[in-house]
Amino acid sequence: MLMVKIIAVLLISASVGILYRIPRKLLLYVSFVGMVAWLIMYITMRLGGNGILADFLASVAVGVIAEILARILRKPATIFIIPGFIPLVPGGDAYMTMLYMVEGNYVDGVAKGMQTILTAGAIAFGIFVSSTIFRLIKNYNLESCSTDVRKS
Amino acid sequence: MTISLEQMVSLAALAGEVMLKNGAETYRIEETMNHMAKACGASTVESFVIPTGVFLTVTDEAGHTLTVMRRVRDRTINLDRISKVNELSRSLVAQRMGYEDAKGILTSISKERTGFSLLPSMLASGVIGGGTAVLQNALFFETLAAFAAAMIVRYIAHIVSKLHGVQFSFEFLGGMAVAFCGVLLHSIWPHLRPDAVIIGGIMPLVPGVAITNAIRDVIAGDLLSGLSRGLEAALTAAAVAMGVVIILALKV
Repeated sequence: MLMVKIIAVLLISASVGILYRIPRKLLLYVSFVGMVAWLIMYITMRLGGNGILADFLASVAVGVIAEILARILRKPATIFIIPGFIPLVPGGDAYMTMLYMVEGNYVDGVAKGMQTILTAGAIAFGIFVSSTIFRLIKNYNLESCSTDVRKS
Repeated sequence: MTISLEQMVSLAALAGEVMLKNGAETYRIEETMNHMAKACGASTVESFVIPTGVFLTVTDEAGHTLTVMRRVRDRTINLDRISKVNELSRSLVAQRMGYEDAKGILTSISKERTGFSLLPSMLASGVIGGGTAVLQNALFFETLAAFAAAMIVRYIAHIVSKLHGVQFSFEFLGGMAVAFCGVLLHSIWPHLRPDAVIIGGIMPLVPGVAITNAIRDVIAGDLLSGLSRGLEAALTAAAVAMGVVIILALKV
């Protein structure tokens, strides 16, 4: 069953890439990013971590791999980030929220909704963290370059 | 050959317009316009980009200044074009390409029909739906139903974009169609759970580009763009949810 799910994740990431029209030769890279992210989430959940932590770790991984690939292949990092995090999106929680709310079960609905929002926030914050780190590195490099120029 | 101020401005503004229309981050558009105008021989360049428009002021060596503004209305998502314009600006800066070539390539990028036509994007959307259903431990027929529902979503997107639909109408209608598929199939075959169908079907509607760009704009300090894109993402999610909820409420 795990093998089927991994194949499903690979296909999802590649399809998101097709839907958002990324360059065709990068489809393999983005499905790799998606698979790594999903495996990190899956393993964290298996080891007993909660869903929010798992999604956070996975999306930090998406950001880091995407920024590295963007530096190597000289493409915008967005191309690798979007297909990478789509398999992490808490669609199941979102659906359960809607279902509870419609049934008038507001207590469970609000609880599930809160969980959905926190999970989505964890994904966003994971990308935020990794992008910030790479931006700091970039600014640091620019600064050291310009001081070198001034010295010479 | 010297490049006139008008030519510089029109090249850089066209590049910015193409990138904004296809969903690039704000700082990337501003940096690309600055680099391109500088590579053509401008002495100072100021650019300002918001999600609905591009502003550009260029001063040449002789001290003449020209400002243009481009209003952008129809925005789509085409990351291929962004990466092409990015490459173009890199090779222009590295002097591997002259002004005339750059202008020609940029015009063809803005006009060409890149990527995939309706059927491949419907299949891709279907695969996203089916794959998500598999991740939700769906059975074979539920996966198939999710595949079909997600394909229908893409077809609705095609129709709405042909009718020049209002913002969020596509997401709302897509959510409704997916929920309708799920509920209908459940009422025909009661053992087929609607959960996996609906979860899979709404997955292609997730506003991935808006979320990513919102985060990256905020980090880069473009708070105005970041906030409006974040709001776009939130409203898209709300539109999908309302579409699904209305159909589910009809059933209950």
